[in-house]
This record gives sequence, structure tokens and C-alpha cells, in this order.
Amino acid sequence: MSTPSVSIEQLSKRYRIGAHRADYATLRERIAGMFRFREATPETRDIWALRDINFEIAQGEALGLIGHNGAGKSTLLKILSRITEPTEGRAVLHGRVASLLEVGTGFHPELTGRENIFLNGAILGMTRAEIRRNFDAIVAFAEIDKFLDTPVKRYSSGMYVRLAFAVAAHLTPEILLIDEVLAVGDVEFQRRCLGRMNEVARSGRTVVFVSHNLSSIERLCTRVALISQGKLARLGSPREVVSYYLSDRTDAFGSNDLRDFPDRQGTGRARIVGIDLLSREGARIDVVPFRTSFAIRLRYECAERVAAPYVGLSILNPHNERIFLTNTLEGGLTIEAIEGKGHCDCVLAQPNFLPGIYYLEAWITDETRGAFADHLRMIGKFEIVVGEEMEENLASLTIPDRGNVWLDAEWSLQRE
Amino acid sequence: MTTQARTLVLRPTRGWRSIDFGELWAYRELLYIFAWRDLKVRYRQTLLGAIWVMGQPLVTMLIFTLLFNRVAKIGTGTSVPYPLFVLSGTLIWSFVSSAINRAGNSLIGASYLISKVYFPRLVVPLSNVVSDIVDFVIAALLLIPAMMWYGVAPSPHVVLAPLVLILAGVFALGAGLWVAALNIEYRDIRILVPWVLQIAMYATPVVYPLSALPAKYQFVAKLNPMTGIAEAFRWALFGTPIAPLPLVWSIVVAVSLLFSGAYYFRRVERRFADIL
Repeated sequence: MSTPSVSIEQLSKRYRIGAHRADYATLRERIAGMFRFREATPETRDIWALRDINFEIAQGEALGLIGHNGAGKSTLLKILSRITEPTEGRAVLHGRVASLLEVGTGFHPELTGRENIFLNGAILGMTRAEIRRNFDAIVAFAEIDKFLDTPVKRYSSGMYVRLAFAVAAHLTPEILLIDEVLAVGDVEFQRRCLGRMNEVARSGRTVVFVSHNLSSIERLCTRVALISQGKLARLGSPREVVSYYLSDRTDAFGSNDLRDFPDRQGTGRARIVGIDLLSREGARIDVVPFRTSFAIRLRYECAERVAAPYVGLSILNPHNERIFLTNTLEGGLTIEAIEGKGHCDCVLAQPNFLPGIYYLEAWITDETRGAFADHLRMIGKFEIVVGEEMEENLASLTIPDRGNVWLDAEWSLQRE
Repeated sequence: MTTQARTLVLRPTRGWRSIDFGELWAYRELLYIFAWRDLKVRYRQTLLGAIWVMGQPLVTMLIFTLLFNRVAKIGTGTSVPYPLFVLSGTLIWSFVSSAINRAGNSLIGASYLISKVYFPRLVVPLSNVVSDIVDFVIAALLLIPAMMWYGVAPSPHVVLAPLVLILAGVFALGAGLWVAALNIEYRDIRILVPWVLQIAMYATPVVYPLSALPAKYQFVAKLNPMTGIAEAFRWALFGTPIAPLPLVWSIVVAVSLLFSGAYYFRRVERRFADIL
């Protein structure tokens, strides 16, 4: 217990982003570049996805990593799982490391369940002997014994998920890295996965767990690290760090500039240039506690005067299904015309969305042209979370596949 | 990832890196299972499986015989009938060109894994060459009925044919590693390579014997490392004469390609996940 299982020392990761040096160049560009002279030095910009991270994880600890999207938590996990190298600093890991993959990553749809167990096991670093030894347990855990010799492309998504998790759950590494894999599967299976992870952690192995699901973080982890803008912002007990995270968020959502958003359609006479999520107090947020009112602000710019537009928005779930739609027409707001710049606010006083990730879609119509002036899909991402003051029995709100809305339901029973 | 070093230090590496043979050995089962997966999927998806693998060289043989032998009047310069000559050439050529192409594209094909899980990246192009070797062996079975049909007995050198195959595999893997690594950085390589290979076939004695070339061009043809390989394969099968120098040259090129390719691959490997 004295030596830490993982020690992270001054770990930094830089990504280079540049106008010319896109993710990859073509040879033609590179050759053309040789004949260009100094003035065309490509403009590069360094982004530190992680900066000077220091901490240790003790053996048998279940550490949760939380933070906004792009905060660097997945980069940290990628370094620990050897997918990418750090730019500076180092990480020392004592023991066998394995990552629990995103569901189905190592599967081949044409191969049978049996074949995929071997394939996936090998990808995760198991030897054939090890897989053979655990084969029956894997099949039993996944409950697919009848479909062992069916190609997995014919599996239901539930079976697929169960099989993928079952293989990974039978890895026996000393350090297990898990990146947001539990966001799938049915309720019952979910419970067994969490149980299995608990077992793993209890058996003295180290678990590092990245998740957006704050309630499962609180339930599973012994300690939580909050990563914010590439730095370790806080490290401590789950309760303390999660509540700090919920109370302090100033960045993310609203800072986006949608002027260059590519996936849009419309006449362009008015354009949505920004979208903010606002708390009741008017602060920009990107995480909303369950059943707490919030506002969506659409900032627009007009190239010319647009008469009698409607402004609308809808909220989509991660499956890209629209679960709510509203517009100024239904909301009783008549807009004579818009010009120049401005913003339009939509307050949702009693939102009943269940905890989870949601996306926004927004539009402005151009009535004189009978078309959209601008229409953007999947622009904002926000999260509804279970607040810290929530009752324990509401933890079940975060289990997947229970739909997207909450309605106050009153139950009664009469015996006759 | 069996039971290797228990302590792992992750830190930035710079410059050239050596090839970690121990690690590659530890991951040999992954190599095997990747190759097995490729073969399984390839043969399962096609209705006729192995027949398809043999059908392709067979049809090529017929077309080339018609085109180059009957129409263009190209002979073999030896007692080997032209169809056998062109079949053997096509078999070894398509093994090499398909292995270079597949290995070259393999990393991009496996990008979903490379960005998610660690394993020695060399396993990916290696497994592709292994599965191509299996394909080649199945296709080469076609030589048996073909040689019986033409009444040509195999030369005693035929026992050395596996060595020629290994030489071809080394050459293809070396070239494939270069292509795979370059492919990550310069995506137009994947358009360039099949095109270059197609042209290169006509610069290699596949459809014509080396002796059919005018003497002053023979020197150029001998610089082509595939010349030695194709000639050696025919030498092993039919005992046709072979000039030693092109073969030595092929070995030198193949081995240096393999080493330089592997080192270049290792050098850029660390950036794969960031670029893919």
C-alpha cells in the first residue's frame, strides 16, 4: 500500500493546431510548401490539453475524473492507457494496465459471438489461455449462450453491450481505466456492471473512471479529481469535488462562436451567432441541476432587415431525437422585424428533463422568403445533472433507457 | 500484455526508437488473431471463398495469355509455356502488390482501435502481410492443376519456393511499413500507391521475360527489386535460368526497406493517435 499504483508527475500534453498544418497534410501541399518562401510560414497555435498535472493514485483506489468536455480528462486517460505520449512530465504505473473500451470497439460485425470474445479479449491484452479459462464466465455474464455462434451484426444492441462489457469485466489487470462506458445498456445490466466494478475496486485493484454521470462517480469512487482547462482543479472526496464542480462553472457553453458553424441552412439574412445557457441568476452555465429553471439565449446578427421572423429551438437527446420544440409564435411573442444584432431569450421555468446530455437546435425563419433564415442542428451541448441536495432515492434517475422526461406521478393502491 | 515488466514509465520520447521485439513477441497472439479475423471475414463474405482467390489469377492468366502471347506474340524465351509463365508472375506480383496496398492502408483501417487502445502498432501491418501470405498459398495451389495440364514437372528447386515467398514478404512488408506510416501524414499516398503499383507491374518481368527486353534496357529492369523476386520464383518452380545479381539486389533492397520502414514507422508511431 505504501507505493502508489499510479504517480503522475508534471504531466503535460500539447496539441498543435494551425491554419495550414491541419491534422494531416497532403503530399502535394508539402511539396508546394517547399517552393513557398518565408512569408507563408504556417500559423500554428499550441493548445495545452493538460498542463502540469501532479497527483498519485493509491493501490485499490477508485479515482473518478470529472470536468467539462475538452477539459483534458480524456487526454489524461489516453496518456495513461498509452494511446498517446505526454509532451512533458511522466506517469509511472505499477502493474498491468487495461482499458475498458467504448462498447463494441474491438468487435467485428461479421464474426460470431464466440469469435468476437477471442478477438476482443486479444485486443484488450488477454492471452488465449486466459480467455479460454474465463470463457464460460464471460458467456454467462453476457447471457448470450444461445447466440454464441450467430454473427454479432444480428445481435440486439443490448446483447452487444452485454457481450462487450462481459469480456472487459473479466480482465484481471492491476489498473483498470474506464472511459464513459456505462452510458449504455439496460437498467438491470447497468446495475450488474456497477457491481462488478465495485468488486474490481474492492479486490485491491486500482480503477480510474471518467464519467459525466456524477451520481455514479459519487457512488463508485473513493476520490475524485476535477480537471479544468487542462489543470488539476481539485482533488478530494467525491462529495466535496462534485459539489464544487456543480457550483463553479464559468467557462464552456456560452463562449462558442457559431459564425463559422458549417452545418447550417437558410437564406443567411439573419444568422444565429451564439447560444448561451443561463442560470436563473443570469450566469452562463452548461450544467443544469435537475428540475431547475434555466434560459436559452440565442444571439443573432442580421445582414439585412428580416420582417416577421419566428425564432425557435428544440432540445434533442443524444440519439438525435427531438424531445421538445418551442417557437416565438407558440410562445405568443410577435416579432415585427429584426435588424443588426440582438438576442432572443427563452426561459424554461419548469424543465422536466431527466439527468443526461442534451443538444440544441435553433432557427430563425425568413417569412418573406418562405424559408429559414438560419437553421442549426446539434449546436449546444448541455447536461442536466442530479444536484448534490438530491435525495438518495433519486439516484435511479441517471440510469439509462428511462426516457428523457420526468413527470410528477402520484401512485395509489386500493385493496378491494 | 501478459506478465511483462510490472512498472511502466510513460514519458515523452524523442527521435529514433528501437524496435521492441520483446513486446512484439508478447503480442504475437494479437497478430495471429488479427490475421485470422481478416481471413475469416474475407472468406465468409464471399460466397465462393477460396474459389474466388484462385479465380482472379486464373482469369488474369487467360487474358494475359490472349493479349500478350497470342496477339502481341511475346514468348517466354524458355521451354515454359506462356500461360504458366504469366500465372507464376501474376501470383507473386499480386501477392506483393496486395500486401503493400493492404499494409499501407491498414493503420487507417484500424484507426478506431488505435485511438482507443494500446498495442504495438507494428502488429497491424504485420498481420495484413500474414493474411496475404495465406491468400497467396491458396491461390498458388492453382499452379498444381495448371502444371499438370501443360505437363510441366516442378524443378527440384521448388523446395526453395518458401524462401522466395519470405523474400517477397519482407520486401512487401518493408514497403508497406513505409506506405502505412507516410499514409498517416500524407493522405494522398493512398491514391498514389495503387497507381504506381499498377504501372510497376509492366516494368517488372511479369508478362514478359527479362530476355525479351533490348539489352540496353535490361540493366534498368534489373534495378527493379521485383525483377529478382519474380525471376527467383520462376527459377524455383520451373528451373528457368536466373541471373544472381538481380536476386542479390532484391535481397539487399528488401532487407533495407524492412529495417528503414520499421524504424520510420516507430518514429512516427507516437503521433498516430493524435493525427488519426
